[in-house]
Amino acid sequence: MPTIPFEVFRGSPGQTRFDTFSLDIPEHTPILTALLKIRDEIDPTLTLRYSCRQAICGSCAMRINGKSRLACLTPVGPEFRARGKLRIEPMANQPVLRDLVVDQGPFWQRYHSIRPYLVPDPQHPLPVGKESPMTPEQVAQFQETPRCIACASCYSACPAIASDGDFLGPMALAKLFRFVVDPRDGAFHERLLGVQNQSLWLCLRCNLCVESCPKDVRPAERIHDLKWMANQELGALERGSRHAIKFASNIREGGLLNEMKLARETLGLVGMLGQIPKGIELARHGKSIRKHPPIQGREELDAIYRELDRPEDLQHRPRVPGQGVKGPTQQPSKAGGAA
Amino acid sequence: MKVAYYPGCVAQESGKELDMATRAVASRLGLELVDFPTFSCCGSGFVDESNLTLNVAINARNLAIAERAGLSTVMTVCSTCQGMLKLAGQVLATTPTIRSRVDATLRGIGYTYSGSATPKHFLQIIVEDLGGAEALRSKVRRPLRGLKVAAFYGCHLLRPHDRMQFDDPEDPHTFEDVIRALGAEPVDYRGRVMCCGFPIQFVKPATAERIAGAQILDAQQHGADAMATPCPLCHISLDTYQREAGRQVGHQLNMPVFHFPQLVGLALGLDPGTLGLARHLVSTQGALAKLGAVAVPA
Ligand code: FES
Repeated sequence: MPTIPFEVFRGSPGQTRFDTFSLDIPEHTPILTALLKIRDEIDPTLTLRYSCRQAICGSCAMRINGKSRLACLTPVGPEFRARGKLRIEPMANQPVLRDLVVDQGPFWQRYHSIRPYLVPDPQHPLPVGKESPMTPEQVAQFQETPRCIACASCYSACPAIASDGDFLGPMALAKLFRFVVDPRDGAFHERLLGVQNQSLWLCLRCNLCVESCPKDVRPAERIHDLKWMANQELGALERGSRHAIKFASNIREGGLLNEMKLARETLGLVGMLGQIPKGIELARHGKSIRKHPPIQGREELDAIYRELDRPEDLQHRPRVPGQGVKGPTQQPSKAGGAA
Repeated sequence: MKVAYYPGCVAQESGKELDMATRAVASRLGLELVDFPTFSCCGSGFVDESNLTLNVAINARNLAIAERAGLSTVMTVCSTCQGMLKLAGQVLATTPTIRSRVDATLRGIGYTYSGSATPKHFLQIIVEDLGGAEALRSKVRRPLRGLKVAAFYGCHLLRPHDRMQFDDPEDPHTFEDVIRALGAEPVDYRGRVMCCGFPIQFVKPATAERIAGAQILDAQQHGADAMATPCPLCHISLDTYQREAGRQVGHQLNMPVFHFPQLVGLALGLDPGTLGLARHLVSTQGALAKLGAVAVPA
C-alpha cells in the first residue's frame, strides 16, 4: 500500500492554511473514505459534508487537484499518480464556512429563481386525477437533466460564475431547460424571456461543467439548446442572441467573417464608437481589421444557406448527444444515478 | 506529411502573424501545407447557437473539400476551429436525422463527405504524427533556456473530451511536453485549462476581460515570463485586451503572449520578424531578451 499525502484546506474566513496528512491506503480508496479516516484517526476537527457515500446525495463535492468532483466517486490512485499529490480544497465560487464546507446559498437561490416546477398553461390545465402521458420522443428531450443531484460541481467549475454574479450558472440553466421542453409546462415563452438580459448569454461554452458533472447532465449542451431555442423563439433580442444570429448571416456573404460588420451589428453604432481607440491601437501594430476577399465557391455556401437557413422545429430540434466516453481521469464510470 | 491547411478567419487578417509562423514552422518540420481558397469560416461557436444543422453542413463542406483532394488531415491552428470541425464530425456520426439533411444538401452542390478527412490541430499533429516532443527536440537550434512559459490551451481543443479525443480535458500535458522539448520550463497553474473570456467579449466586455485577467494573473503569480496559446481567439483576449484585463483585476499586467507556432519557431531558430512578433500589443521584447534572441524590428 502506498503512502499518500493529502494537502487539505483548513480554516474559516480570515484564517486559512493547508494541513498535510499521510495515509497508507489502497489506491482504489475513495477520497471521501480517506478524509473520514483522517477525521476519525488523526484530526477529529476536520469538517466536511457527506451522507450517502455513493454518488446519490450530492453532498461531498469539493476540489481535488483543482477539479470539482464528488469525493465519494473519486479514487485516490489516478489523481495521486497524475499530479504526485492530492490537494483537497472546498468548492470554488461559494464562501467557505469551515474547512471543506461552503455556503451554498447563492447556488440554491439561482436554482429557485428559475421556478423549478411545472407551470401549466391556465388555458390548458393539467387533468386532475389522471396521468398526462408523454411520448417516448418527448421524454427523450429531457433525459439527461433529471439525473442531476444538485452537487454544485458544475457551479464550482464555472469561470463565468467566478467572474459575474448575473450568470445563472450551469445547474440552474440545465434545470430550466428541463421545464422548457416539458410538454406539460405552459410557460415556454416566459421562461425563455426570463433568462435573457445576460443570465443565459454569459455562458462561455468552456465545457468545464460537462467534464465536472458526475451524472453526465452535460449542462453546457443544455445551455446551448436553450440559446438555440431562444434564438428561434425570441429572435435577436439582445447582444448575445444578436451576435449568434448576425454571425450566421455574416459569413454567408463572403464565406469568411467580416469582423467589422459583425461588431457593428452586435454592438450598434454607439457601441462601435467605444471600439475606436482599440481600432487605432490595432492599426498601429499592423493588425487593422480589413474585409477578407470572398472565398472561392461562395455560391456553394449560398446554396447550403438556401437549403438549411430556416427555422428549425422546436419539438424535433437537433441534439448533440454525448457518447458517454469519459475523460481519462474520470474514474470510476459515472453510470447510474438518482432520479 | 501533407495536410489541408485550414487557417481560419483570424489568422488570415488581424492575427496574420499566426499564419506567418505556421507556414515557417511547418516548412522547417517538413510538413507540407495545401491551401484551399474555398474553405469558409467554421462558425466559431456562434452559428450553431442559431442553427446547428446549418453549422454542421458548412463544416461538412470544409471537410469534404479536403477529402475530395485526397487529404485525410485538415490542419487547424485555432482551438475553436478545431472544436467546430470536430463538432460537425460528431453530429454527423451520431445523429442520422441531421446527417441525411446535410448529405442531401452537399450532394446538391456536388460534394460528399464520407468521414475520411478529419480535423487535427497543429499541436496535435506535432505530438501524434511528427514524432512527438522527442523528434521536435532534435530540431531545436535555439533552446529557450531559462524561459518560463505558461501554456494556455483554449477550451475547445480539450472539451468536451468525448468530442475532441485529445489529451486530458482538465489536466493536459502535451503542450507542456512541447515546451520542455523546446528547452523552456512549463508553468504549472490552473488557469491553463480555464476560459479566456473571448466568447462574451461582445456580450459583456468587462466580464470577458475579468476572466482573461484572472488567467494572466494566475500565470504571472506562478512565475511565468510568457504565455503561449494554440488559439488565436485566446490570443485576442490575452494580448489584444490585456490592458483592459489588467484594469478589471486591479493589476498592471505585462505578459507577452506567443502563438503556439511562434514559440516553436523561436526554438527552431527562426527570426522574430518571420514570426510576426512585432504584431503583438504586449511587447515580446522582454522574453526575447531573456533568450538573447534577435530584437524584433519595430
Ligand atoms: S456522499 Fe453522497 S454524493 Fe458523495
